[in-house]
Amino acid sequence: MGYRTFSELKESYAFILPLIIFILTFILLPVLGTFINSFFRDISFLQRKFIMFENYKQLFNDSGFWEAIRFTILFIVVSVPLEIILGLIFALILNQAIPFRGFLRACVLLPWAIPSAISGRLWELIYNYNYGLANFLCIKLGISTGPINWLGSSLGAFFGVVIADVWKTTPFVTIILLAGLSAIPMDLHLQAKVDGANFLQRFYKVTMPLLKPVLIVALLFRTIDALRIFDLVYVLTHGGPGGVTTSLSLYSYKYFLAGDFGYGSAVSVMLFVIAFTLSLIYIKLGRFAELGT
Amino acid sequence: MIEERFKSILIWIGYVFMVVFCLMPFLYMMLISVSSSPDFLTKLDNIEFTFKNYYSVLTSKSLHFIDYLRNSIIVSGVSAFFCVIIAGLGAYSITRLALPGKMLILFFVLAVSMFPQISLIGYLFKFMSTLGWINTYHALIFPYIAWILPLSLWILVSYFAQIPKDLDKAALIDGCTRWQILRKVIFPVAAPGIFSVSLLAFIFAFNEFMFALMLTIDYHSRTIPVGIALFQGLHGEIPWGNIMAGATIAVIPVVLLTIIFQRNIMQGLTRGAIKG
Repeated sequence: MGYRTFSELKESYAFILPLIIFILTFILLPVLGTFINSFFRDISFLQRKFIMFENYKQLFNDSGFWEAIRFTILFIVVSVPLEIILGLIFALILNQAIPFRGFLRACVLLPWAIPSAISGRLWELIYNYNYGLANFLCIKLGISTGPINWLGSSLGAFFGVVIADVWKTTPFVTIILLAGLSAIPMDLHLQAKVDGANFLQRFYKVTMPLLKPVLIVALLFRTIDALRIFDLVYVLTHGGPGGVTTSLSLYSYKYFLAGDFGYGSAVSVMLFVIAFTLSLIYIKLGRFAELGT
Repeated sequence: MIEERFKSILIWIGYVFMVVFCLMPFLYMMLISVSSSPDFLTKLDNIEFTFKNYYSVLTSKSLHFIDYLRNSIIVSGVSAFFCVIIAGLGAYSITRLALPGKMLILFFVLAVSMFPQISLIGYLFKFMSTLGWINTYHALIFPYIAWILPLSLWILVSYFAQIPKDLDKAALIDGCTRWQILRKVIFPVAAPGIFSVSLLAFIFAFNEFMFALMLTIDYHSRTIPVGIALFQGLHGEIPWGNIMAGATIAVIPVVLLTIIFQRNIMQGLTRGAIKG
């Protein structure tokens, strides 16, 4: 690194300063503010009052909070593996010499590129009980004898959210895994082929072990992202029916909306702690691919 | 070769499934947007083609659709522009200058990018209310820049790290300042990276929902995702034709950008995620 003169040091600080100021002011300060707020009774039009851990105590006896945790965990457990499997299949196909590859990659990217609030609205129509595409297909393909009450039943709403999310985020997984796949040298496959391995054996013995680090990155990345799910449930189900698809983010938002900033903050602090723990694991594991070198 | 044949059949099944899975909802959206009634699947023999949904969305002042779209494009464009410059300065400092604790800053920024938005918004709302910024463009632009900076920084660092340091030295000897080097040497050489980051930043800002939902009130600053999410009919029945026409117009910018610049977007995203 050589020696550092004072002016060089000053220059390096000056260049990074805008970035640090922005992140401190508009991310770190709000997080800190939310954390402090969670120790207050802070409801619109009422006197703000310091109440220590009262919000957190209330949280532990709040069945709505536990239901939000239950939904969020179930959602992660069901949707993330589906996204990884489907993303892997898509990536394997896109890594082959197939016609229109560039066009196909663009197609796969499209669901990722559009706003999730808009895709939520689109899926709301697809799930329409009377004339939606989902029921049309389910009946035409013989999956179901009558129309399914997608957004009105708890099971239907849960899988409705899962399918819409899988559609929206599989592209992201595909891109990450495709990059991992294209880094695997062709020679290894040819060598295995010469040794008489069929394509399934080549997949398990050559591709999978080499892809594992990238798979773990995709898995953690998706888990952290699925943990914060908000847009889709807000638009598609509003957390219903009866609160069964209310995620932690949405639960907290509902308190903010009602003007209860203390309790809403406590809920989001809990979510923050979970997400932060996961991201520390991610960063620790991520070190296998040291930056740019 | 039976095995090869089997493999190619599997690939083709997957191929077709992939295309149908990704594109069908889009086709459905466009079909509904040009049909006179959303229940056209139940009366396939009697389809009525119409442009009235597009017409009413684009001309009806009370729907404010054009306002939402304009707000979205301004907010996303300005956010992406400043985000690239600020991230570029930061990436230059990290890859080129004698900044102490570079790795610490990079990992700190990475951790920040994984914060849940909801853990900011409660305080951010109060903060913006105190400043009197609610329902303005800058109430969205400032948090958007901060929110997109981490990813932008990571991508740009990975691009800048590949540029030979000799270029800087040559420019320094020629009497350039660091700022001139960044502007006249690094930015042009890393143009593909700069471009990828601008695209991604624009798409992320364009798609953002929660901040826009909390920090805007009406058409003066409300962005298109929120506009479409809260779009309700006047008479109870949801105007699906209008919503789908609006959605189709709203996704045209990002869909075009994605199709044309598919390669840049893939590269950018890959560098942002894998190098972490």
